[in-house]
Amino acid sequence: MNYIKLKPNLSLFLVIISVLATYAQLDPRFVENVKRGKHTNNWAVLVDTSRFWFNYRHVANVLSIYRSVKRLGIPDSQIILMIADDMACNPRNPRPATVFNNANQHINVYGDDVEVDYRGYEVTVENFVRLITGRLFPGTPRSKQLLTDAGSNVLIYLTGHGGDGFLKFQDSEEITSQEMADALEQMWQKQRYHEVFFMIDTCQAASMYERFYSPNILAVGSSMVGEDSLSHHVDPAIGVYIIDRYTYYALEFLETVSPESNRSMGEFLKVCPKSVCISTVGVRKDLFTRDPDTVPVTDFFGSVRPIKLLEKVTMMDISEIELPKEVEKAVDNEPKKRYYYTRPLPDFDLLVAETKKLETGIDKEREKEYVGYWY
Amino acid sequence: MRLIFVLYCFLHVKSSTFAIQEDTFTEELLIKPLFSEQVYAHFQFATTWNIDPKNENYHHSHLFPRPIGETIERLNIQELHISLTGGLWRYETWGYPVVDAAPGAEIWAWFKHNTDNVDTNWKLLSNSLSGLLCASFNFVDGSNTVSPQFSFRPRGIVESSNNTFLRYASLPREIVCTENLTPFKKLLPCESKSGLASLLNSGYIHNTKYHSVSLHLRQICATEACDKLAQELQLSVSLVYDYAIMGTKNWSFKKLFGHGLNGNCPLASRSNIFVDLSSKTSHDFELTPEPDDVIYSIRGGQEQMFAKYDIPPYFLSVGAKYQNNLDFNVNIPPPLHACQYLTGYGQERGGIVTEIYNNHWKSLDIVLLQNIAWFVPVYLHTLKIVSNNNQVIEPSVLKYGPGKQREKPYYLEVVLKLPPRSLTKISIDFDYVFLKWQEYPPDANHGFYIGSAIISSYLPLAKNYTGLPQDASTITGSFNASRVGYLVQIRTENMVITLPTPDFSMPYNVICLACTVVALAFGPLHNITTKRLILKKKNRKKLLERLKNKFVEKFFKKKEEKSENDKNE
Amino acid sequence: MSLKKSTKNAEVQEISSKSTTLKALLLVTIAALLRYAIMTSKYQSIIANHVEVSTPLSSWKRVSEGSFLFSKNINPYDGDLLHETPLAIKFYKVMLHYVFRNVHLMFIVFDLGTGMLLYLAVKKYAFEFQQHHKDRKKFPEDVQKYLPSQDFAQKVSIYVLMGFLFNPYSLLGCIGHSTMGIHNFFLSLFIFGMIYGSVVVSSFALAVCATVSFYPVILILPLSIYFVKEYKSNTKAVLAIVNFVTFLVLITIYNSNFGKDFSFVKNVYGCILSVPDLQPNIGLFWYFFTEMFDHFRELFIYSFQINTTILYLVPLSIRFRNTPFVLTVALLFLISIFKSYPCLSDLGFVLSLLPNFVHLFPDCQQGFVVGVILVISSSLAPVLWHLWIYSASANANFYFGVTLAYAIAQIFLVTDILFAQTKWEYSLKHGKDTKIDGEDGVLSLE
Repeated sequence: MNYIKLKPNLSLFLVIISVLATYAQLDPRFVENVKRGKHTNNWAVLVDTSRFWFNYRHVANVLSIYRSVKRLGIPDSQIILMIADDMACNPRNPRPATVFNNANQHINVYGDDVEVDYRGYEVTVENFVRLITGRLFPGTPRSKQLLTDAGSNVLIYLTGHGGDGFLKFQDSEEITSQEMADALEQMWQKQRYHEVFFMIDTCQAASMYERFYSPNILAVGSSMVGEDSLSHHVDPAIGVYIIDRYTYYALEFLETVSPESNRSMGEFLKVCPKSVCISTVGVRKDLFTRDPDTVPVTDFFGSVRPIKLLEKVTMMDISEIELPKEVEKAVDNEPKKRYYYTRPLPDFDLLVAETKKLETGIDKEREKEYVGYWY
Repeated sequence: MRLIFVLYCFLHVKSSTFAIQEDTFTEELLIKPLFSEQVYAHFQFATTWNIDPKNENYHHSHLFPRPIGETIERLNIQELHISLTGGLWRYETWGYPVVDAAPGAEIWAWFKHNTDNVDTNWKLLSNSLSGLLCASFNFVDGSNTVSPQFSFRPRGIVESSNNTFLRYASLPREIVCTENLTPFKKLLPCESKSGLASLLNSGYIHNTKYHSVSLHLRQICATEACDKLAQELQLSVSLVYDYAIMGTKNWSFKKLFGHGLNGNCPLASRSNIFVDLSSKTSHDFELTPEPDDVIYSIRGGQEQMFAKYDIPPYFLSVGAKYQNNLDFNVNIPPPLHACQYLTGYGQERGGIVTEIYNNHWKSLDIVLLQNIAWFVPVYLHTLKIVSNNNQVIEPSVLKYGPGKQREKPYYLEVVLKLPPRSLTKISIDFDYVFLKWQEYPPDANHGFYIGSAIISSYLPLAKNYTGLPQDASTITGSFNASRVGYLVQIRTENMVITLPTPDFSMPYNVICLACTVVALAFGPLHNITTKRLILKKKNRKKLLERLKNKFVEKFFKKKEEKSENDKNE
Repeated sequence: MSLKKSTKNAEVQEISSKSTTLKALLLVTIAALLRYAIMTSKYQSIIANHVEVSTPLSSWKRVSEGSFLFSKNINPYDGDLLHETPLAIKFYKVMLHYVFRNVHLMFIVFDLGTGMLLYLAVKKYAFEFQQHHKDRKKFPEDVQKYLPSQDFAQKVSIYVLMGFLFNPYSLLGCIGHSTMGIHNFFLSLFIFGMIYGSVVVSSFALAVCATVSFYPVILILPLSIYFVKEYKSNTKAVLAIVNFVTFLVLITIYNSNFGKDFSFVKNVYGCILSVPDLQPNIGLFWYFFTEMFDHFRELFIYSFQINTTILYLVPLSIRFRNTPFVLTVALLFLISIFKSYPCLSDLGFVLSLLPNFVHLFPDCQQGFVVGVILVISSSLAPVLWHLWIYSASANANFYFGVTLAYAIAQIFLVTDILFAQTKWEYSLKHGKDTKIDGEDGVLSLE
């Protein structure tokens, strides 16, 4: 309809750069991956299951991993971050909008650019299982879906309070290791992953992956069954433990990794020997077909990003293009109409008068609806 | 292949040329030292898009955020208003903000009058917004939504203002943090890379007394004569800094936002900073650098002065230095303000009281809206409106929708005439309810939130008023904009009630015990109804003896059997 | 000679019945004054606010709210505060505005009316009972001293009246404006109609009870049995059922505003049956369904409601078919124990019927236990409630424990009475002697 107004502008030989390419070429590494049946995309599901201020460290844990995977190239759209409580803007936090991994405030793991997909009360066992198995309610926004396929490498990181065979969610419910294993099997049967790296930092973490029976899963837990997983250090400024040992050393390692580096998963699995972790880090490799020492860390923490290279660029003159004519016609036919704003509040005097009228007149009829019992 | 690309280019050209012409974006910042120990900073980003609403193609925009455009189109939205707020706006000392917002999250939307299923669209809208803004809007559903008759009439141009197409909900518990700001900044044309939005540093923004992010979408007049419509999107960020947190009264961009401004947003048609100089007369300060212009504005009988800066494409940092003398001013509260609190003790019965102060010399018409959650069942027959402690006021109009457990909230809307210079108390009683144990949140003893009451009115004077007139989308538009009335929508405090809780560790015990009691009745009744009474010999032997006999009998019987078996073999 | 004796008897009876009537009137007056005195004191609101008195179904505050909403043209059944039928609201409103003009007066009059109806009903029933056992020679010798005496009817009816008027449970219910008191009026009207053999009165009263609080619907069975057994009239029994159904339909038609609005069904019967309001009361439902796992909720709602209504109905009806009054009382007892929202008035009502069974008391074994549990649980309930809700030093389990004890006491009471009844029937046939071959025997159910 505004076409006429635009016409003079169009005639100013507005030249638009448009792009022509006879074929698109993909990154050779990506093509290689597809040919060899390797993964084609990366996803991360990072879950903190603990609520309450004294569980600050669990939020710091999950944000440490979030920071690393984001830095190593997984975009926010492919990271599902679940945080059960708000630590950054918690009134008890003397430094609002920050979460640190260290009392010396080395790294603000919360950052200035964070997207939390599930937060607060949304972090439930049901939502977690629905998310990973893809059985979500209609209308769930894209950012809350795990849109993986048979070529996806998925990093699942869980932290919270666990026990032998279960992980507590928000201190009110729990997921058992069997449920976790079944959910992963469902993922596998629905071809929702290529490989999974399952990482869990809780007490008795190893019990959570013991029941796994689906292929291509590499699992690591911060402690064996019967062991507690310990926190690293306390920050006197906020009065609570600030991060857990295992994740602290994992983050320390990941900080040295760059998207191009060739450091292997084998190295990653050894980041926290018993001397520093105090608990024994458990690893389960039997479901994983590859040798972790040959798998780059970036296979799970980094991202494959297929890039199309375009070869030819052509310039086009926009004045050659004719715009459809019915648009012009529509403009001609449109009657001029004056619009008005609605009053944001009703005219009170009018309203009161109307109500009085209603009470005396029409109300009699309406009375019959409900008050028919009375009269 | 080539053809396809030509077509693509054509479409591209079409849309972009249209867009270049039709989208305009302005960025503004208003800084206003408040009466007390605070300074108020309001960012106003407005995008106007001269799109034909009948065209209904919101895909091709230039500056207008595409996710919002798609949502409008898909869900048939006429108007959308969202705010995410941390802290409470203190009307009695701070005056009126540019945009009113309730603590927590607030959302209201008008759907187009041809929408078939408003409730479905509302649910879809809240879901998609929860993804878009990283907020818990997905908790908005029928159980906390109302369709108020008077309080939330459309702000823009609509075809029909029938409240069946309106939905309003608030989430008083919502926490607002960086994750809400990040996606918000991505809706701006320059994101946070340049222009005023680059000042939005989460660490500084959240270290304030009050911070609010809001989004307002509506249809406005595209032309002076108002014969064409345009889609307008106002994004705003309101911040109130406390001098006590800042450590000094002398504010500067570095103090407020962490760093200076690195030039304007090149896509903006206008980039301005305004500093309200009205408080200068009572408390003098020096601005550095010197403003480009000083604007005098007379609005609703109030004279105001603003320093204006045009943001250059290079570095700018505005600061104010106060004269070092101690002044104490008398706070003159604005004409209308309110507060809300709970009465009663224990966890059985309580009351909600809303106090509304009218400091104006004339009576004021107001609308009070209360959206009371279903877990706070109120009794309408206990509604009392008393002014100045003795004068009972009859509401001119009263709208009430009874609530239903787990299904819908209690909705109360009252139109009142407040007497001049009065304090009016509106009270209503409620009961505490008992929920199923799985309905309590994980932190059940933290309490349950009751949202703000909303008091709307037209003020005759623009005293301490910074709001925008209905026909303007920018702060510039509010200068010299005298109108018949000045709309305020006061939000009161949220309230927290702790509902009585069951013992969460008891389910198995309770089920067992209650079933035992039922069985206690079942056993004897079963005996009485199915068995006959007969006379039997009494066993006079003592208990110990009987036990012994039984044991011996069993033991020997076994042996005997064994020996018999042996014999048989 | 025998004629002379009988006239003398009649005279004695007349005199004693006159004196009992006077006594009854005196009692009623005292009860009325007592009620009025407490109602106008500050304790009224305290008592009315107690959950033991005002359940969601019987709270007068909710009735006022419903009434108010009706007057504002708002359908109260859109919300879920009101669980009374439209007819009941209308009835209260008419009674309050056109008859009594005072809430206290209304509740007192209905309560006293209940007492009087029970008194009259029991007088007739006890008289018939005594007449039935008049011919002492029919019974074994050792039972004869337990048979009802001449003044049985006078004694029992006065006991019942006293038991109702001065029973703390019904007293508290009346003072606390529990609408259950008014429902009980219709229940007593039903008993009155049943004993006097009036088909219309009994079936109408029962239909009213069934529409307001649902559970009494099962009493149609004892009613028809009563007519068959006591009045030897099958027609009456059939008529009672037909009348009952007709009244039910008529009342429902009125409630639904002549078929236009059935929204009350969900709020009244839906609430009674599916227990959505978990406010504590003295029953078993509230904590059970608070702590129930969601996927088992329906199963247990069905089983609990079946337990309250039809589980014991048929077996008890068969077992006590010859004593339909006992059956009625037993069912009333079971309803008051197992209904979803019981209140003190329910127990008060059934307790006041106990003196009908004075002849069974010697056979009851748990009277002391029941009495002690009732006293303790009734006095502990408000204390533990206060500790939980107001001083936050106890929790829900404490109150739940009390309600359990309370239910157990009632269960012991009803099973004890029924067991005593079977023993009584046995001893009327075989005598009290429990010796077998000179040795002591024991009576047991096998």
